[in-house]
Amino acid sequence: MAHIHLGEGSFPLWALALWTTIGVALVGAVVYRIRKGGIRTNQIALAGIGAAASFAIFQLNIPVWGGIHMNLTGLVGILAGPLLGALIALVVNIFSAALGHGAVGLLGANTLVNASEAIVAYYAFRTLLRMDWDIFPAGASAATLGLSAGAILMGAIIVISGVNGSALPRGDLTIAVAGLVGLNLGVAVIEGILTGFVVQFLASVRPDLVGLVDHTTGEESTGVTA
Amino acid sequence: MDRWKQYGGLAGLFAVCLAAGLWGFRSTGGALPWAKRSAQALQRGARAGGGALVDLGRGIVVAGPIRKGGLVLEFVGVVAALALLGIGLYAYASRYRGLDDSERAARQP
Repeated sequence: MAHIHLGEGSFPLWALALWTTIGVALVGAVVYRIRKGGIRTNQIALAGIGAAASFAIFQLNIPVWGGIHMNLTGLVGILAGPLLGALIALVVNIFSAALGHGAVGLLGANTLVNASEAIVAYYAFRTLLRMDWDIFPAGASAATLGLSAGAILMGAIIVISGVNGSALPRGDLTIAVAGLVGLNLGVAVIEGILTGFVVQFLASVRPDLVGLVDHTTGEESTGVTA
Repeated sequence: MDRWKQYGGLAGLFAVCLAAGLWGFRSTGGALPWAKRSAQALQRGARAGGGALVDLGRGIVVAGPIRKGGLVLEFVGVVAALALLGIGLYAYASRYRGLDDSERAARQP
């Protein structure tokens, strides 16, 4: 659920410029890779469905850990891949900011946070499958690792930027942010379990959606069990 | 890989994350909604607090900025538009793939 929920003007201008520049560079690199490597139509379809699911769950506050929302970015990364996963993070954050959930000025920072979750989850899932892990533990671990990476990046962005209007010394701010990051790690467990079940279900009914079967030939890969 | 190693690794990861979550929950004010917790922690620093980890009586609610801004209809509209786009593209991709397969089959002697 890592997402910077601060309002407009919370970060100093240099920090906004920095995170926006890095975010634009990431999206630019992703678009370049997609244009160069091409993309399958079914992946675009999955990206649309993934964006809808992620956006919807982004806005729903569940009564656990005091009240939190989930992202499903780990699931999105596993299903749509790291490139489309990063673009979905951008789309979800734009729509969220348009509705007042997250600041427009923090779009770059929030896109970086959520894209990192999708990217790390995707590569962790692929790595665990190569190590011959079953689908559920691989999906749950990958999503948890991805979300943890996003939470740590979120904390680093806040600590590096500082918060306008906060009188906290940098050390106290770091401790407070560490607490927020810690809570995000707890939420990652809930989302990891949910992702593990969803990926396992999809693998049993449509293994091509999770990359276990070649989409065009229908041949099943070996060495992986659902 | 042995199944016990997989689930052992997963359990270890969950244990670390849950311990961090519990510490974060207590050190940033206890049972507070995220926006309030975040604002309070960043403005006034870490302050210990308690409360229930799960509060089912609160239910699942739409995020405050959307609910209070009267944008629930817009939220539902965006979700529906994205879902329709995805499902439409999925149906198109399935049909396109079907045509492609039949063309390929027709070309085979």
